[in-house]
Amino acid sequence: SATPIIPKRPQQILSPTSALEEARARLHVSAVPDSLPCREKEFSDIYSFVESKLYDGTGGCMYISGVPGTGKTATVHEVIRTLEINVEEDDLPKFKYLEINGMKLTEPRQAYVQLLKELTGQKATPDHAADLLNKKFSTPGPRRETVVLLVDELDLLWTRKQDVMYNIFDWPTKQHAKLVVLAVANTMDLPERIMMKRVSSRLGLTRMTFQPYTFRQLENIVTSRMKGLRVFDDDALQLAARKVAAVSGDARRALDICRRSTEIAESLHKGKGEILVGMLHVNTALEEMFSSPKIVAIRNLSAQEQLFLRAVVAEFQRTGVEESEFSKLYSQHLSLCRFESIQPPTTSELAGMCSRLGSMRLLLVEHGRQDLYMRVRLNISQDDVLYALRDTEFS
Amino acid sequence: MEDWRVLEDTVPCREKEIENILALMGQKDQMTPASVFIYGHTATGKSHVVNSLLKISQVPYVLVNCVECYSSRFLYEHILNNLSHTNHTEQYRCDNMNDFIRSFQQIIEEKNYKDHTVYIVLDKAERLREMEANILPSFLRIQELTQCNVCVMFISEIVWDKFRSGTGSCEPYILQFPDYSKDDLMKIMSLDCPTDYDVDFYSNFTNLVLSVFHLVCRDLKELRHLTMLNFDKYIEPIQKGEATMNDSRKLWRNIEPHLRKALQTVYLREVSSAQWEKLQMEMSSTESTAMLSRSHVELPFYSKYLLIAAYIASYNPVKSDRRFFKKVSKMTRRAALMKKKERASNHLLGPKPFPLDRLLAIFYSIVEGRVAPTANIFSQITSLVSIHLLGQTAGDDQIEMPKYKCLISLDFIRSVSRTVNFDVLSHLYDFM
Repeated sequence: SATPIIPKRPQQILSPTSALEEARARLHVSAVPDSLPCREKEFSDIYSFVESKLYDGTGGCMYISGVPGTGKTATVHEVIRTLEINVEEDDLPKFKYLEINGMKLTEPRQAYVQLLKELTGQKATPDHAADLLNKKFSTPGPRRETVVLLVDELDLLWTRKQDVMYNIFDWPTKQHAKLVVLAVANTMDLPERIMMKRVSSRLGLTRMTFQPYTFRQLENIVTSRMKGLRVFDDDALQLAARKVAAVSGDARRALDICRRSTEIAESLHKGKGEILVGMLHVNTALEEMFSSPKIVAIRNLSAQEQLFLRAVVAEFQRTGVEESEFSKLYSQHLSLCRFESIQPPTTSELAGMCSRLGSMRLLLVEHGRQDLYMRVRLNISQDDVLYALRDTEFS
Repeated sequence: MEDWRVLEDTVPCREKEIENILALMGQKDQMTPASVFIYGHTATGKSHVVNSLLKISQVPYVLVNCVECYSSRFLYEHILNNLSHTNHTEQYRCDNMNDFIRSFQQIIEEKNYKDHTVYIVLDKAERLREMEANILPSFLRIQELTQCNVCVMFISEIVWDKFRSGTGSCEPYILQFPDYSKDDLMKIMSLDCPTDYDVDFYSNFTNLVLSVFHLVCRDLKELRHLTMLNFDKYIEPIQKGEATMNDSRKLWRNIEPHLRKALQTVYLREVSSAQWEKLQMEMSSTESTAMLSRSHVELPFYSKYLLIAAYIASYNPVKSDRRFFKKVSKMTRRAALMKKKERASNHLLGPKPFPLDRLLAIFYSIVEGRVAPTANIFSQITSLVSIHLLGQTAGDDQIEMPKYKCLISLDFIRSVSRTVNFDVLSHLYDFM
């Protein structure tokens, strides 16, 4: 069949042997720890919200926002896990947990289908599923248990009529629904920006924002994962945490950098016994992740291509416009070649170079059929080009 | 592999190109470049050389003309069906590149082409650019995608630079077919010498034809066509007994005026070939017959005036209307000054669009007698548009300020105005 599948591993991965490997396994983004450090307040807020709804037997909505990698989904999962433990100890009434992810749906209206399937096991078309769900939530049922629904990536459920969002937020307001909706998205002002008034008013005002992690929190997260392992130098850890916090405050990014620096440390000191990941390794990893690949690309271009970029900058500086026709650039390139006293390329050769630079996205070019009238723009700033070309052959 | 020597006789002056392509093809089981891009002018033997080479070397190949495949589906299915040579009951169905690659691999497997190079020839390849964006890049790296020994040959008249698109792709091996020189052309054209004449005699004639036509036309097809048309005229004196084969001066003097006359109709086919031959038979003068491009159309009375008004509106500046069409017309000094300022002739710049109001105003001032603005008049305007004597430029809606352009030549409008006794030249700004 044509369905692609991931090829199987030839052999199972061995369990980690060295301390570094153990650290790597723990630092993996998928290895969610038992307790989330630095999110205690958010945890207790969400917990008490859901708990109160469970006790009262009512429904409600909560909107959770925050930039990527701030632990939104992980916290909600943590809340649910704790609630389920409490239910088992008979401290709380029973509930059912459902989850839909906007990114995993092929189409917003598929949300109905998936909801119905998880709720009752039935399969139906989107329209029919919506009808069934409507009926289910608006009529009283004997001994109905509360349903907790996590809607991840809410912004992808947007449709022109917004009927999917409307229904999801409308059901909890029904008397017999007993539905608790936890909606998760990235932007804080999503309800005001894309939702119609009647949708955002049903979403209500129970909102929660996850702030990006500060460097102390990031450091905390990594050390909590490294409990009982002596792998990282403290200063190195702080460097990684500070760098990430300065840019985005994304915990995933911090974990990735730490993982990468363990790899670098391992490859640098192969078979030299126990090693501590130090500043040097973290710094290398940071440079790898944060440095602009475009500058590296420009440094590694061929001489003529570098000269062409120089011609582009020269032409832009001459005209003062950040866009030029290929014919103008060609004559500029010719005169640069004359200055450097090297053999100038033909138009075809230069067009080939131009399209190569365009396919590397250093330039923005049009289709080749316009040939001499093809308009060319730079995809990076002129200063970056000049900086990258500073110590090259023709500078 | 010596079979291709046969080609040297039928395809002269292409030895180097044939050698190049053969070198690329190599032995049957050897790998070729994934894609070869062949370009050159019209009638430089690109398709012919490739087709006959592939036929002679007896390798599996498919020829596709991309003009015929107006959707990618036809292209895929054509290649697959021709490659598999299945009976017509079982046709391949394929509408995307993914399926194409899979079916292609399947055919290679079934047909046992593992130790052959399979060739796909895409003629008029410039059409591929208009299809989906993934087709050209995929064909360029088809060897890599199918993991089979396959070679795609693109044949086109335009250079590879114009095929490149923003995202980049594998570069093909580029091969150029240069134009034929005058000697090459003569050599090729003397191949179709009639059997009852001497080759030297015929090549003498082709030399004469080339001496007249080579300046304006280097297209082999057209030249061959012209040679064949005029050959009967050339041998006429011999058939009549007025000259002999060796009397080249006399033959030249006889044929030259005819060739000069034919020069006017190169590429044009104004007089169709059959007509031309008939004319030569009847010995009548070539100019006496009406040419196919007639500059005379029968029109209704008001349509003629509408057309004249449209012509004037298109080629006269708005400012001059007052001068031409005011009841008491006299050339003021300002008007005389205005004329001097005008730089380029309106007839060089082409027609300008004008609104419907202006057309009607000019129409009423040039037409004799009172004409009511009936539906008839307006429908005549739209029918002039539909027969492409006028063009509508703006306002697709008929009611909302339509703008028109006049699309006819000066000669045409002069002949039209002659039939209604209207002096159009005196109303044109350029001829004042």
